Amino acid sequence: MAKSQSDFHFIGKPQRKIEGLEKSSGRALYADDIRLPGMLHGKILRSPYPHARIVSIDTSAAEALEGVHGVVTGRDMPTTYGIIPWTPDEYPLALDRVRYVGDGVAAVAAVDEDTAIRALDLIRVEYEELPAFPDPVSALRADGSTPYVHDAEKEGRNGNVTKHVHMEFGDVDGLMETSEVVVEGEYFFEGTTHTPIEPHCAIGLWQPDGSRRDGLGEPTRDERGDGTGADSGPRTGSGKLTVWSATQVPHYLHRELARVLDVDPARVRVIQPLVGGAFGGKSEPFDLEFCVAKLAMKTGRPVKILYTREEVFYAHRGRHPFHMRYRTGCDTGGRLKSVDAEIVLDGGAYASFGLVTTYYSGQLLCAPYAMPAYRFDSTRVYTNKPACGPKRGHGSVQPRFAFEVQMDKLAERVGLDPVDMRRINFIGENTRTVNELRITSNGFLECLDAVERASGWRDKFRKLPFGRGVGVAGSTYISGTNYPIYPNRMPQSAVQMQIDRSGRVAVFSGASEIGQGCDSVVAYVAAEELGVPLEHVRVYRGDTDFTPVDLGAYSSRVTFMLGNAAIQAARKLRQMVQQAVAEEWDVKPGEVLLAGGRAMWAPDTERQMSTREAFNLAEAKFGTLGARGWYDTPKDVHGDYRGGTIGASPAYSFTAHVAEVEVDVETGFVDVKKIWVAHDCGRALNPVLVEGQMEGSAYMGFAEALMEEQVFKDTDHGRAGLHDGPSLLDYRIPTSMDTPELESLIIESIDPEGPYGAKEAGEGPLHPSIPAIANAIYDAVGVRMDRLPFSPPAVWREIQAARGAGTLRKPPC
Amino acid sequence: MPPATEIVTLMVNGDRREVGVPGHYTLLEALRYGLGLTGSKQGCDKGDCGACTVLMDGEPTLSCITPIREADGRRIVTVEGLGTARGPHPLQDEFDLHGAAQCGFCTPGILCSAAALLARSTNPSREEIREALSGNLCRCTGYTKIYEAVEAAAARMRDNG
Amino acid sequence: MLRLPPFSYHRPATLDEAVSLLGEHAGDVLPVAGGTDLIPNMKHRLFEPGHLVALRGIAELSGIRRENGCLRIGAAETLASVARDADVKKHVPSLADAAAHVAGPQIRNAATLGGNLCLETRCTYYNQTAFWRGALGYCLKKDGTVCHVTKVGKKCVAAHSADTPPVLMTLDAVAVLEGPRGRREIPVRDFFVADGIANTRRETGEIVIEVRIPLESSSRRAAYAKLRQRNAIDFPLLTVAVSVDLEDDGSTVRSITGVVTALGSRPRELSGWGEVAEGHALDEDVVWELAERAYKQCHPLENIIVDPDWRRAMVPVYVRRALEKLRA
Repeated sequence: MAKSQSDFHFIGKPQRKIEGLEKSSGRALYADDIRLPGMLHGKILRSPYPHARIVSIDTSAAEALEGVHGVVTGRDMPTTYGIIPWTPDEYPLALDRVRYVGDGVAAVAAVDEDTAIRALDLIRVEYEELPAFPDPVSALRADGSTPYVHDAEKEGRNGNVTKHVHMEFGDVDGLMETSEVVVEGEYFFEGTTHTPIEPHCAIGLWQPDGSRRDGLGEPTRDERGDGTGADSGPRTGSGKLTVWSATQVPHYLHRELARVLDVDPARVRVIQPLVGGAFGGKSEPFDLEFCVAKLAMKTGRPVKILYTREEVFYAHRGRHPFHMRYRTGCDTGGRLKSVDAEIVLDGGAYASFGLVTTYYSGQLLCAPYAMPAYRFDSTRVYTNKPACGPKRGHGSVQPRFAFEVQMDKLAERVGLDPVDMRRINFIGENTRTVNELRITSNGFLECLDAVERASGWRDKFRKLPFGRGVGVAGSTYISGTNYPIYPNRMPQSAVQMQIDRSGRVAVFSGASEIGQGCDSVVAYVAAEELGVPLEHVRVYRGDTDFTPVDLGAYSSRVTFMLGNAAIQAARKLRQMVQQAVAEEWDVKPGEVLLAGGRAMWAPDTERQMSTREAFNLAEAKFGTLGARGWYDTPKDVHGDYRGGTIGASPAYSFTAHVAEVEVDVETGFVDVKKIWVAHDCGRALNPVLVEGQMEGSAYMGFAEALMEEQVFKDTDHGRAGLHDGPSLLDYRIPTSMDTPELESLIIESIDPEGPYGAKEAGEGPLHPSIPAIANAIYDAVGVRMDRLPFSPPAVWREIQAARGAGTLRKPPC
Repeated sequence: MPPATEIVTLMVNGDRREVGVPGHYTLLEALRYGLGLTGSKQGCDKGDCGACTVLMDGEPTLSCITPIREADGRRIVTVEGLGTARGPHPLQDEFDLHGAAQCGFCTPGILCSAAALLARSTNPSREEIREALSGNLCRCTGYTKIYEAVEAAAARMRDNG
Repeated sequence: MLRLPPFSYHRPATLDEAVSLLGEHAGDVLPVAGGTDLIPNMKHRLFEPGHLVALRGIAELSGIRRENGCLRIGAAETLASVARDADVKKHVPSLADAAAHVAGPQIRNAATLGGNLCLETRCTYYNQTAFWRGALGYCLKKDGTVCHVTKVGKKCVAAHSADTPPVLMTLDAVAVLEGPRGRREIPVRDFFVADGIANTRRETGEIVIEVRIPLESSSRRAAYAKLRQRNAIDFPLLTVAVSVDLEDDGSTVRSITGVVTALGSRPRELSGWGEVAEGHALDEDVVWELAERAYKQCHPLENIIVDPDWRRAMVPVYVRRALEKLRA
C-alpha cells in the first residue's frame, strides 16, 4: 500500500538543499577553488590538425624553461582507455596520431599558468597531415585508401564505423503494408554540447610513501626525467595517487586512473568536490585527469589543470548529430501499426559512450505508445571532430524529436487532435514494450491531461491566429540502467549510515552531486526514517576513500538507486532504535514512532523522549551504531536478445509538453511564449528540486530547439573540423531574456520499486520540448521544421519556401 | 622573465586588503588566487557568462576582464560580502529556499547582479529582473526559480524596511 | 583560464598625462577605457601591448551636459550612464535605445561611448584564441596573409559591429579627439574608413575625448533597430539607425538619413533616400521603397557566422521597423 502524502514528515515537502546556503554564500568549494601547498599548474598542448600522424615531438626547450617542472607526452601513458570497456580507443595524450583539432599531444607542469603557456609554445611537434573525414557521408564512403579515423578491426571493414545495430520487433514490413496511413520523413538533429558553466578542472597529488596525509613535507621531485619520455616517474609499486576532479563518475575515473597509470586501485583515491554543472559532459575520464596524475607522479608536486572554455568545447562528448529517416504507419483510427527507422550518428573522433548511444537511438523509443512492430537500423560513424557522447537524454532526444513530429503528421492525416492521437496509443502500465522493456508505473495519460488543461489546448490548437500556435509531444526515459557499464554483480549504489549518542546522523554517500540534489535526497531519507531534524544529518560524500561505491551521476539513476540504498540503511538503524526504546518502555517496537526529533509511543504520543535519548538507548544496547544500505537492479526483466539489456531500467518516467509559440514570418524568429511541462516522476521527494529539474530540462530542450549548434568550419571556410566558435559568445545558450515562461506540473504515479515511489526527473522532461516547439511552429504557420535548430535563418528559409509553394498558412482543422 | 608583482589596495567586503599580484592579473584572478576569495567564479574566460560578476563601487562588474590595477582603491563586494555576521543576505537565503542554485556555479555572479538591482529598486517587476540578470548565464535552472527567489527577497527586504 | 599577456597599467589623472603616456610608449601602448573589448582581444593575443593607458579615471572625459546647443557626452561615460541619462533620453532617445541594447548589463556598466565608437572590427576568423587562429594559419587582419572570408582579397573585411555609431551618424554627431598634435573634431559620419584592419581616422596616440550632438534640430526624429539572435550579450548581426527632419507641417519629410552596420568594415550610409522621401510624407509606400533601396545596397559577407542571405533579407525588414518607430 503506497503511503499518502500526509504520512511523511520530510518527503514530498519543499526542503532546503543541504549545501544550498554554502552555494549561495560563496563558501562552496569546486575543483578550481582548491589549492594545495606547492601546487604546480599544467597546460595541455593540442593538435591544430583534424587528422595527422605525429612524426616527432621535441620537448627539450620546454623542459629547459625556468619554472617548468615536468613535461609528459603520449609515450608516458601508452595505454588506451574508454568509458565503455569494449571500446577503449583513446590515449590520455595522442600516441602517434591526432584525430581532431584539439586532441591532446603533450602536457607541462610549471610554477604558474603563464609559464606553462610559454612552455607549450616551446614544444616542437612535427605532423604529417592526413586526409580528414569531416562528416559521416565521407566517413562511410571511405575505402581505406587513406587511413580511417581508427584502423579497422578486420581487414576489409570500414574502420570509420564505431557500431552498427539492426533490430526488428514484430512484422514491420507486413504491418507497414497494411497501414492505412503511412508518413515518411527525414530529420536532422544538429549536435549540441553541454556547456556547464564550470569548466573541467582536476588536481593530482602523488604521495610516494603512500602514507603521508598530504603533499606537505619535502616534495620528491623526480630528477630522472631526461626528456625522452621513457621515464614514467617514480615506481608505482608504492605511493598513493589522489585526484580531485569535476567529474560525474568518480568510480569510473578511479578504475581508469588505476588501469592506465598502472597504480593498484587500492592506492588510488578520487575526490569529487562540488561540480558546477555537468549534464553528461563530465561522465567519463578526460585527458586532464590523467595528465595531472602523471605530472604529479613525475614532479612530486601537486598539479592542477583547469580547462579554458575553448578546451571544454573540444572535450565535448555532447549530443551526436543524427541523420534520421522514419516511416510510421497507423490505421484510420490513428492506432500505430509499424515504425521503421534508419539512423546515422556522427560520432566524432572517439567512441566515448557511442556503443550505448547507438542502441539508445532505437531502444528508448518504444514507450509511451504501443507499437506492434518496430525496426531500427543505426550506424555510428567516426569523424575527425571532437567526440560526441551522452548529453542529458542520452541518445533518445534526437529520435524522440523525429518520432513526435511524425506523430503530429499522422494525427493530421487521420484527422485526430494530436493530444488524442497520443492518448489512444498509450501503452498502459505494468506491461512490456515491443522490444520487451518492462514498464511498471506509468502516469503518461495524467501528464497529457495536465498539459492539455493547463495550456488551454482545446481553445488554442488550430484556433489561434496565424503566426501563433501550440504543439504537444510526449516521451519516456529511464531511471537508471539495469546493467552497469562494466559487467559485474555488485550493487550499483550504496550508503553507510551512522548514528550516535549526540543525536546526529552521518551518511557516507558515494553518489555524485552535480547540482541535482542527490546529497540532499539521502539527508531527507535519513531525516524521514530516523525522525531527526534535517540539520542533524551530515552527508559525507564524493570521496572514494571513505564512501561506498556509487556508479555516478548518469542515466538518471541516482535518486532511484541511492534513495533505495539510503532507505534500506536508515530502516536498519530505525529498527535498532525502536527496539531499544520499546524495551525501555516495555512496548512493541512497531509502536515506537520517530518524528520531529522525538521518539513517541503511537498509542499515546504524550509518552516520548528526544531522538538523542533514543539513540543513547540504542547505542547502549547494540554498541556502536552503523548500517549499510545498497541497491541493485532487477536483472531478469529484459528481452532475451543481443542488446536486449540496453535500455532496460527498473522504472520509466513519462513526460508531456505543450509549447506555445509566436512566429515572426518576416524574420523567422520563433518566440516561445510558454512551455507547460507535466512529468511523471513517481513521487516528488522534494517538489522544489523536481520542478527545478523539469524547468532546467525544458529550458535545455528549448535551447537546442532554437539556438544551439556545435558545428565546425569546412574546407570552404578556413579548415574542416575546426570548431566554428568555441566560446560562450559564439555558442549561444539562452539568456534570461530568451528563455520562455516554464510551468511545471508534477504527476505522481508512485512507482512500486522506487524510493517512496520516486522515479527520475532530470532528463526525461527535456525530450518533448523540441518536438512540441516544432509542432507548435506548424500550428502557427503551417511550416514543418524537420531539421534542428529552428534558428531564425533556418525558419526564414522554410517560410520563404512555403510562401513560394503557397502553403504558408494556418493548417486546416 | 616573469612580470613584476605589484601591490594593489582593494576595499574588499569592507576590509582594506593589499594584494601582491603581477600587473596583468585580472580582478578575478587577484580575488581567487591572491586573496583566497574563491566565491567569484571563472566560467568563460572573457566576459561572456557573468559567473565572475562582483560589485565594483556598487555596479555589477565582470571581474575576469577587469585589470587588477583598475580596481585599485575601489570598493569591491563579492558574494562572500553580501551577507553579514548576523546572517545571509535575503537573496542568499531565498535562493536556497527556492532551489534557485542547482550546481551553484553561476550563483555568486547572479547574486551580485540581483543585489545591485534590489539596491536601486525595492519592488522590481519580473521584466526588470530578467533584464538585470541578462548578462548572467545559468545552465541549470531555466531561470524561473531564480526570478521567484529574487522576488521573494525583494518582498522580504520591503517588509523589513 | 585564458590569461592576459604581461603589460603595465597606467592610470593617468589628466588628459595631458594620458596623451603624454601614449607618446612616451608609442608603438607599445594602447588606450583602454571599459576594456570590455580590448581585454578579451588581449586574452586572444590579438594585441600584446607592453603598456595600457586607462581612460576611466580622467575627469575631462566624463560628464553629460547640454552646452551651446549641443549635448556633450564625455567619451568615458559608460553605455549604462548614457542609456539612463535624462537628457539623452529626452533629446536623443535613439542613442539611449542603442546604448541600452549593447551586450549585457555588466558590459554596459564598463564599456564607454568612446570605446563603442572605436570598437575593433570583428570577424569569425579573427575573434578567436591564438590556438584557434594558428590552426587556421592565421588571417589577413592578424599574423597571416589570407582572408578566409573573401579568399582572394587583400583587404580585410572584418565587420564594424558597434551599436551607437550608426545612431550618432544620423544625429550629425561630432567626435572630439585629443592627440600629440592637439585637438580636432571629426563628424562621426566621416570617422570610419572601409578597412577592416584600422577602420577609423583616429591616429596613433589620439584619444576620443567627447561626442557632441547638435540639438538645434528639435523636429528631428530618430530611431534604431537591432538584429541579434539572443536578446542580450550578442553583438549585432545588423543595426539600423534612421532619422528624419520634418517640415513645419509635421508630416512632410525635409531630410532623411539611414545608416546600417554590422555588414562591412564601416557603417554604411544609405544612398538615394532623399529622392524617395523628401517632399513626401513617410507613408507606407515610401517606407517600402526606402527599405528596397537599402536592400539593394547591402551585401553581407561571411565575416559573421550567420547566414549572409538571411542577414541581407533582414536589411529591409529592420529598415522598415526602424522607420515604423519614427511614424509611431
